[in-house]
Amino acid sequence: MKKIATPEYDIKEKLKCHATALATAAKEVVAPLSVTTQYPRERRKWPDCFRGYILFDPERCISCFECSFVCPANAIWMKEAKSGRYYPTLDYGKCIFCHFCIDSCPGGALKTTKIHDVSYTTMDEMFTDTEEMIAPPEIIREDEGYVEYEIDRDDLTLKRTKGQDNLIVDVAPSQGVPMVSVCVDSGSCIACKICEKVCESGAVSWALDDVKDVIRMAIDSETCTGCGLCVKECSMQILRLVRK
Amino acid sequence: MLGLPVINNLIALLLWESFFVLIIMPGFAVLGTLLLILPWIERKMVGRMQWRVGPREISPRTRGIIQLLADSLRFLFQEVIIHKDAHKRYFLQFPFLYFIPVLLPLLFINAGTAGSPLVPIVSDYGLQLMVALICLMPVFILGLGWASNNRFAFIGTVREAFLYFAYEIPFIVAVFAMVVMYGTSNSVGVVDAQAGGLWGIILNPIAALTFFIAALMATARLPFDIPEADQEVSFGPFVEFSGIAFGLAYVMGYEKMYVLSALMTMLFLGGGSGPMIPGLGEVSYLIWFVLKTLIVMIVVVNLRGVYPRYRLDQGMKIGWNAMLILALVAVAWSLVIGAII
Repeated sequence: MKKIATPEYDIKEKLKCHATALATAAKEVVAPLSVTTQYPRERRKWPDCFRGYILFDPERCISCFECSFVCPANAIWMKEAKSGRYYPTLDYGKCIFCHFCIDSCPGGALKTTKIHDVSYTTMDEMFTDTEEMIAPPEIIREDEGYVEYEIDRDDLTLKRTKGQDNLIVDVAPSQGVPMVSVCVDSGSCIACKICEKVCESGAVSWALDDVKDVIRMAIDSETCTGCGLCVKECSMQILRLVRK
Repeated sequence: MLGLPVINNLIALLLWESFFVLIIMPGFAVLGTLLLILPWIERKMVGRMQWRVGPREISPRTRGIIQLLADSLRFLFQEVIIHKDAHKRYFLQFPFLYFIPVLLPLLFINAGTAGSPLVPIVSDYGLQLMVALICLMPVFILGLGWASNNRFAFIGTVREAFLYFAYEIPFIVAVFAMVVMYGTSNSVGVVDAQAGGLWGIILNPIAALTFFIAALMATARLPFDIPEADQEVSFGPFVEFSGIAFGLAYVMGYEKMYVLSALMTMLFLGGGSGPMIPGLGEVSYLIWFVLKTLIVMIVVVNLRGVYPRYRLDQGMKIGWNAMLILALVAVAWSLVIGAII
């Protein structure tokens, strides 16, 4: 059996350790390496993947409810807009900033920002309506510069830059995995045409089958964006999303 | 001056040499100023060592130099809470009584140089009296802890008592080594013996090292922060104190450090010896003395940025083992070197 014991130093090594410790302290007193960010006066430069305040772009939203479904904290509720479409609202009292909603959004309508210092006075204010999510929130910017930490090998250095860091991140919307909607059991179709109504891209069409005198639905796999709206709405639950 | 006879007498009294040394420099006035600045220096320098900023938000332009002034204002206006279980009389008296052993050693400090002593009271037993008064300080801390009647205060007090015996004997033996070396215990004679740049730290570095470590233990500074360890016993004997009483206890540690640093300057760093500053006369010795004391104090306070805290048993082992041996070696060294000189 191997026993682990404290390392034993002789007096020479001990004195050397003491001298090194004192020398390091003296060196830091003369030329210290401060790592403190003077927060309101300067900000830390966060990476673009920083999980901060969430912005919403209604132009890209296809009302698929994916963000609302995936939200583990149940912070996203869909709300009906005047146009009849459903858009997300976000309760920051519940949000845990996991950004699953952003990852799951097929159209890239939700996007992250580097804003992390939004404060509210009441719980009601934390419930953010769709309209409030479109523009970035008003924050007081006192910063005159930003800092970056640079790690080279085992040392850490602080780089200070003058000027304000742009907190809005411009990222191209993710393409995701291309999906397409297909009907797996066309025999059960009752031709309610709901899929055609909900389809945003007009990929679903119908035609009268002359032989049997029934309505046959068809999905054009070229124009289908794979948003999954028809899959969700299908009254017979016979549509599936598959990889293109 | 202004036709008032009393003012003339007062100024004459203030400028009377032994009174000036006691009251102004290096006595109470300088002590008070240092008490206001030293914690700031400590916090700033330790902050730099630990990659922090230190006090800053109060008066950022002066880098937070008035932080302790703000703290003391807070202490002044805070309520002094005397809890039900405390021994009320001693609880209130001991912080004030503590002043006596802390400030009295200043009476025997010689801030002058060889040939021109600057000492309030010349006594052939100056060193013995100072050591006796310094050794009296822990008794008051024990009293504080006992009067608090609190479990943390009790643990801290017992730790203080353990450490007290551990450092006291090497401390006294180290001073004794220097008495043997100089052949006198008069504070004037001690400084005279270090004339010509042959300081005590060169004559007997072992005694200097022992004295320094004992001073660290006596002032409960890191790495011997054992009785007051905030993380373990939350300031030990002083845990129940609040308001001005805590302020006194807080300041008392620094006063004790000042006295011990002044004693170290006198014993090992040649007192106030140094090049004359033109136009200042004997005051230049006082300035050198205060500067040396300040450097010793800065070294003492900055060790908290370097060392972690020893366990109680490790502290005791250092006191009874390494330091006692070192102190005895220092006495032998003094005997040998004294015989050669």
